[in-house]
Amino acid sequence: MRFFTTLLLHTSRDLLLTWKSQLMTVFTVMLSVLIFSFFYLTYVNALHVGTEMGNDLRLVVYLDEDPPPPLQDEYRRRILKFDQVERIKFVNSQEAYQRFSKQLGSDSDVLSGVPDDFLPPSIEVYPLRSLDSLARIKRFSDYLETLPGVQKVLYGKEWIDHFHAFIQLMRIVIILSGFLLIMTSTFMVAYTIQLSLFSRVQKLELLRLVGATTNYIRMPFLIEGALLGLFGSTTGIAALYLLHRWIKLQFSGPTLFNLVPFTFLSWPTITGIVTAATLLCALGSFRATRPILHL
Amino acid sequence: MNQELPPPPVIELIKVSKFYPPDVEALSDISFAIDKGEIVYLTGMSGAGKTTLIRLISRMEKESQGMLDVAGFDLSKLNHRTIHLLRRKIGVAYQDFKLLPNRTVADNIAISMEVVYQKTSVIEARVRNLLEQLNLSKKYDTLTAELSSGEQQRVSIARAAANHPEILLADEPTGNLDAENTARVMSLFYQLNRQGCTLLIATHDKSLFRGHNRRVMELRGGRLLTTGHLFPGTQP
Repeated sequence: MRFFTTLLLHTSRDLLLTWKSQLMTVFTVMLSVLIFSFFYLTYVNALHVGTEMGNDLRLVVYLDEDPPPPLQDEYRRRILKFDQVERIKFVNSQEAYQRFSKQLGSDSDVLSGVPDDFLPPSIEVYPLRSLDSLARIKRFSDYLETLPGVQKVLYGKEWIDHFHAFIQLMRIVIILSGFLLIMTSTFMVAYTIQLSLFSRVQKLELLRLVGATTNYIRMPFLIEGALLGLFGSTTGIAALYLLHRWIKLQFSGPTLFNLVPFTFLSWPTITGIVTAATLLCALGSFRATRPILHL
Repeated sequence: MNQELPPPPVIELIKVSKFYPPDVEALSDISFAIDKGEIVYLTGMSGAGKTTLIRLISRMEKESQGMLDVAGFDLSKLNHRTIHLLRRKIGVAYQDFKLLPNRTVADNIAISMEVVYQKTSVIEARVRNLLEQLNLSKKYDTLTAELSSGEQQRVSIARAAANHPEILLADEPTGNLDAENTARVMSLFYQLNRQGCTLLIATHDKSLFRGHNRRVMELRGGRLLTTGHLFPGTQP
């Protein structure tokens, strides 16, 4: 107990002595966390959009002729061999005609005289609802086109390609901003602690001379680094929350957010980010104190 | 026959030398032993090697040759992880004081007790007691940068004595003091000695040991001339 009281006493004294540089570091960590978590928030919500849009996603495989039941089973087997799907539906020419007629509504009389088998039969393949299904859908489409009796395969290729590119870009941005977070947390904190160490060399030397252990000298710096990470990441997340509220207010009304909810980060994610930033900053502090502890 | 072995000396040096590059020989072939509870004066002119010897004993520097055994530790085997074990057993009053100028007198003394996790109440009582003995009670909350040299020297001595060390090394402890404060410092030293502390006092002020029944070692040009005779004119 005495150990912790003494450590906290030393840490608070040291923080007060160099509060300006500590404040700058907290601000830098906050910005890094804000940048990273903003992109992560965008990514998470893009995933939601993908999932929502994926609900209506299907591949329509147009066939040369109506497949008899044994061939339908063969198609089903081949499709399932490539990937798990949610549903496979065979639509014959007559059913396609009826659907088309229904879609035309009051204009359905334009179809008078047109044979009811003029539309090709098709297979509707509903992939599993996940972002990965979006990513895999092109390969799926390419595979389906290789099946015998297939004329062509249609799906919302253009928007899926764009969406997929966007998600890929977001992943890269998240990796880069995560890297930025790691760099700022470890290096900025390491440099701040180093400055702090240099300003206290006389005291550290004296502590060594009066019998302080390595842990006694190092722990206040580790606590200092962890506190910088904790405060920086917490304020970063708080700033992100304010930004999230502002965006929701700005885009309230008949916008995309009414169709797809713009959610905030989950508690486990927030805890993960704050813990990671705190540990990274403590690590930065550990790195900074190593050389000077050989006094 | 039940013959007990004599206790080992608390400080033992065997053929210790210290060289500084390029070719300065600060200490040469120093050998002596100090038993527990002794008060030993180390005398010699400026540059004789007194401070270097104290720095070697407190392991602020490593010897170039020879063997040092202090408070049961073979100093050659201590590293930065274990050095605190030695330093907690010795108190050192440095010639250059080594005080933190932006901290109060009380903080500067308390630091040596804080590192061994003493209770705040114990620290405060000990600090006040030492300051009273050294005539510094009114300076409790004063920054050490605002003190005179004599006052700073006494703060440094108080810090060395604070933890009731097994060994106290004092480097010119009375160099900046008047007669009254010198007497106070020596009184504190004798009090510590009565409690079992071994003292090695480096000084060129012969009046400190004149008339006292104590061992005196004299250094000259880095060599030990005498390893422990009583000062001439004193009665054993």
